[in-house]
This record gives sequence, structure tokens and C-alpha cells, in this order.
Amino acid sequence: MLRRYRFEILAIVAILVFCALFLYTSARMGHAEFAGSDDLGSKQISKITGIPEEEFHPLVWQWVPPSGEIESALFALQAAIGGIIVGWIFGYWKGLKGREPG
Amino acid sequence: MHIMEGFLPWPWAAFWWLLALPCLAAGVYQLNKVLKADREALPLLGVTGGFVFILSSLKLPSVTGSCSHPTGTGLPAICFGPWITSVICAIVLLFQALFLAHGGLSTMGANIISMGVLGPLVGWGIYRALRDTRVSMFLTVFLVCAFADLFTYVVTSLELALAYPAEVGGVGSSFVVFMGIFAITQIPLAIVESFVLVLVFKYIVQLRPGILVRLNVFSEDKIMAARRDI
Repeated sequence: MLRRYRFEILAIVAILVFCALFLYTSARMGHAEFAGSDDLGSKQISKITGIPEEEFHPLVWQWVPPSGEIESALFALQAAIGGIIVGWIFGYWKGLKGREPG
Repeated sequence: MHIMEGFLPWPWAAFWWLLALPCLAAGVYQLNKVLKADREALPLLGVTGGFVFILSSLKLPSVTGSCSHPTGTGLPAICFGPWITSVICAIVLLFQALFLAHGGLSTMGANIISMGVLGPLVGWGIYRALRDTRVSMFLTVFLVCAFADLFTYVVTSLELALAYPAEVGGVGSSFVVFMGIFAITQIPLAIVESFVLVLVFKYIVQLRPGILVRLNVFSEDKIMAARRDI
């Protein structure tokens, strides 16, 4: 029984450890901002070149979400699109499996 | 792993685009062939690609006190190879460049190379090396997913180091600094992602082993042996 669900158990344990690690990190590093590594990368570039970040101008015009709220809504939309596709196909497969033997 | 719009000088942006285009072309060509040969390949493409959409939208906190996101490219790399994976990633990266200001159109070539080509290529290499050995199918999937994710960030670090060598120490010391920002942050994320994707692969094996056999993802013996065990 335990062996049958070993991958479920492993995944749950891994996620729990990951959460614990986050709690530990945020408690120990009081100053941790949890900023995106992409932004830290851009900061590092400005440090190496000595050019302030604001002076890096897009080579191609780019629409920027006007606020963090709108950005997070669009990120949620991206995850939802993926979730709908995955859920729909797994459901389709499950339905097929019930009808045909094997 | 997104290099932000404007943060690559145009010769580098063009260089990575030039490398990315033939990979995408090969991917589109292979995709047509695979989908024509087997109708059941489309749902498998949807599931593995769907997880790239989901996972790359999750910005997760890491031990370095910063956030990054998993890539999910290991599964499509195993099932369809790195070129088709690059097409999936291009779609995700286009969405993020257009609507989220995450990465940009000029830097998309570099981002396709890191997330869509070289990361999955390393994963695919591990998969090909282990596929016909006695190493467990699920352990293979785990390793492929972890290294495809991690190596994506190694490539991003390299891309930035090449464009921005440090005054002292040049590309090498720049690379080490960018690795500290990207790759170290990514290690715990890559591990958790891989545990989740192994679980997803288990469900695919349970529900639709036939398509995995027909695409010759793993040998029939290996897949059937795994089915009896789960």
C-alpha cells in the first residue's frame, strides 16, 4: 500500500520540506526581500557596467503591466491556462480508460 | 531565467535569436511529423506543455532570500526531444514577454536558448544515456527534470556573463556572480519540481502507457514493469 503511493508521499514530503525551508529562511534572514532573481540579475548588470538600471531602455517597445496586481492576475491566468489543459486531458484519458479494457 | 528587455546589447540579442531560430524550425517540423503520425501524441503534448505553463508562472521563494520559478521542461524533453520543447517554451516566453513584461522580444532568443534548448538538451542527453540501462524509469525522469531546470539557469548566467564580463576577471568572474544569483537559488526549486513531475509521469504511465511505447519514450518492458509496480 505504502509502496503504491510512494511517489505521492515523496512529492508531498518534498513540498513540505520546501515550505519549512522557506519559513526557516525568512525567520533567519530578517532582511530577505524575496525579490525575483530576474530583477537581481538586472541589478547585477547595472553594478558591473556602472550604468543605472533606469538607463537600460527596451530595444523593442514593451507593454508593462501598470501595477503588481495586474501582473499577478496575468500570471494567474497563465497558470490557469496550463491547469485547464492538464486537467482536461487527464480527464479525457480517465474517461477513455473506463470505456476500453486495458 | 528571464533576461529583461533591453538588458542584452543588440549584437548579443541578435546572436541568440540566430541560434534559436533553427531550433524552433526543427521543432515545428518535428511537431508536424509527430502529430501526423499519431493522434494520441497531441494530448501528451498538451499535458507536458501544460505543466511548462503552470510551473513557469510560479515564482517560488528559495534559500537565498530571492524568488525564482521552475521550468517544467524535463517532461516534454523526454517525450518529444529538445527541439519540440523549444517551441513550447517559445509560446510561454512570448506570452510572458507580451503580457507580463517578463523577458522581452529582443531577449527572447537568449531566453529560448536557455529555457527551451540548452536546458532540455542536457536533460535529453541524460535521458538518452539512462534510457536503455537498468536505472529506474522514474529516477531517470527525476534526474532529467532536475538538470533541465538547473542547467537553464546556468545558461542564463553564461549568457549574461558573456555580454557583461567583469572588469577584473572577465567572463569567468562575472559567470560566478550570476551563478550565485540564478543557479544557487534554483537548486531547491529544481528538486521539488522534479518530485512533482515524477508524480505526473506516473499518472501518464498509469493512464496512457500506449503512447509512451509508440513514441518509444521507454522500452515496452520497462513501462509494463513500472505499471505493475504502481
